[in-house]
Amino acid sequence: MAASLLSRRTGLFFGVSKLNSFIPAVVHQIANYNPRPLWLNIKNPYIPDKESEKTPDWQKTEKYDRRLFGRYGRASGIDPAKLWPSHDRLEELVAEEREWHPPVEVMLGNIAAREKEKAQKRMEREKTIAANMAKMPKMIADWKKQKRETKQKQREDKIRRDKLLAEARERFGYALDPRSAKFKEMVAEIEKEEKKKKKLQKRRKKEDEQGLPTATAEASQ
Amino acid sequence: MMSVSKTTAGKTIDIVKNLPRITLANLRPNPGAKKDERRRGRGLHGGNRSGRGHKGERQRGNRPRLGFEGGQTPFYLIIPKYGYNADHSRRPQYPPLTLRRLQYLIDLGRIDPTLPIDLTQLVHGRGVTIQPLKRDHGVQLTDEGADIFCAKVNLEVQMASEKAIAAVERNGGVITTSYYDPRSLQVLIKPVPFLMSGEPIPKRLLPGEALLPYYTDANNRGYLSDPAQVRAARASLAQKYGYRLPDISADERFEMLAQRKDARQIFFGLSPGWVVNMADRKILKPTDEKVLRYYGS
Repeated sequence: MAASLLSRRTGLFFGVSKLNSFIPAVVHQIANYNPRPLWLNIKNPYIPDKESEKTPDWQKTEKYDRRLFGRYGRASGIDPAKLWPSHDRLEELVAEEREWHPPVEVMLGNIAAREKEKAQKRMEREKTIAANMAKMPKMIADWKKQKRETKQKQREDKIRRDKLLAEARERFGYALDPRSAKFKEMVAEIEKEEKKKKKLQKRRKKEDEQGLPTATAEASQ
Repeated sequence: MMSVSKTTAGKTIDIVKNLPRITLANLRPNPGAKKDERRRGRGLHGGNRSGRGHKGERQRGNRPRLGFEGGQTPFYLIIPKYGYNADHSRRPQYPPLTLRRLQYLIDLGRIDPTLPIDLTQLVHGRGVTIQPLKRDHGVQLTDEGADIFCAKVNLEVQMASEKAIAAVERNGGVITTSYYDPRSLQVLIKPVPFLMSGEPIPKRLLPGEALLPYYTDANNRGYLSDPAQVRAARASLAQKYGYRLPDISADERFEMLAQRKDARQIFFGLSPGWVVNMADRKILKPTDEKVLRYYGS
């Protein structure tokens, strides 16, 4: 038996002569093998009396009957037809199977649907990303422009304020607090003057464009 | 002389009648039911330390809680809780079986390569230990020892690496990966206790949706995959690893190599629904229509 079990490789490796010397050891091993006893009381089986009140309830169950049949076979006196589930139980089993164990085709369909949905979601996301990326250069340009303008404006404001402060110092002879009423008054005044100047400039420009009529108008004034 | 009693029971009944009633006041434990508490610090070594050692938390019994490291942030709080190990107690496990070990088992005659090898053979030859209650779902064949593997086998495992598949097929063998639900797995690895229970052999369940793609894939030699695709995958794997695929149909052990289990079958040669009786050495097959329909589907 042992020789037949050995693979081709071992056979080649050891050679036939060595194999022969190997066999007795194996036989020895087999002879010394002491299997665990199978605790089956076959000669005098215990078959509980179903009618007796002394028999515990767990020995009257179907499961116990099956076990008895498994141990002692026909000698147990159990009807073999009882080994299989009853029609009621079968219905339960079928219902359970229908609920929890769908056939392969259904499962494959579910998997395919899930994959498709996943792919769809991914596609949509990629589309959104592509659209947004297309908008990106314009957005960057806008942002840069806005930033540049803000900086420019800040710079101009600062220059103007410095100028005003310098003027205030010239006018009053000392450095004014920009929050003081005096300074604000001065600023308002200057602004007024500037406005006037602007208006005048505008009018003059108009006159220059129109040429003669303006001169007469001036004369009339 | 005994005094004469009027009753027939004699003196005993008089004594019992005159004894006080049983109350909590005259109940006491049975003699020998209680053991005196050990009194520490008495007798010969009375002034000593009563076996508690010298000074400190040990002697005074005010040791800090387990894991406390004297105020330093303890180790068990340093490791952040993050999802790497989430669900680890419920993940299916596949104990590895290396090709080296399989070759060793075959060489020692613990597994017979002239018969199809499935988990029953592997477990019976003490090649692997499978514990379905510890969430083992079967074995995975790994490629360690792929270069020394030289047996021609019809192997059935639950998972296999590509190189392991190639190593088996290079030698003219056949490999299938198949799924067993935990109950079928228990039946498969320990057939005798199951057969002794007298139950009909159960139907093997199909893998769930998470595992179905693996077992329908011909590249994994899944048991639910199309045989034609498996043939193509065998040829392409031979091309990939650069070996000539031996022709199985011309093999002397073709019948053994061609054996496959049905998707619902647990044992070779035994259908679901049959009862195997060890005592009578008989196989009982159901005849009832409904039973047959249930086990046949």
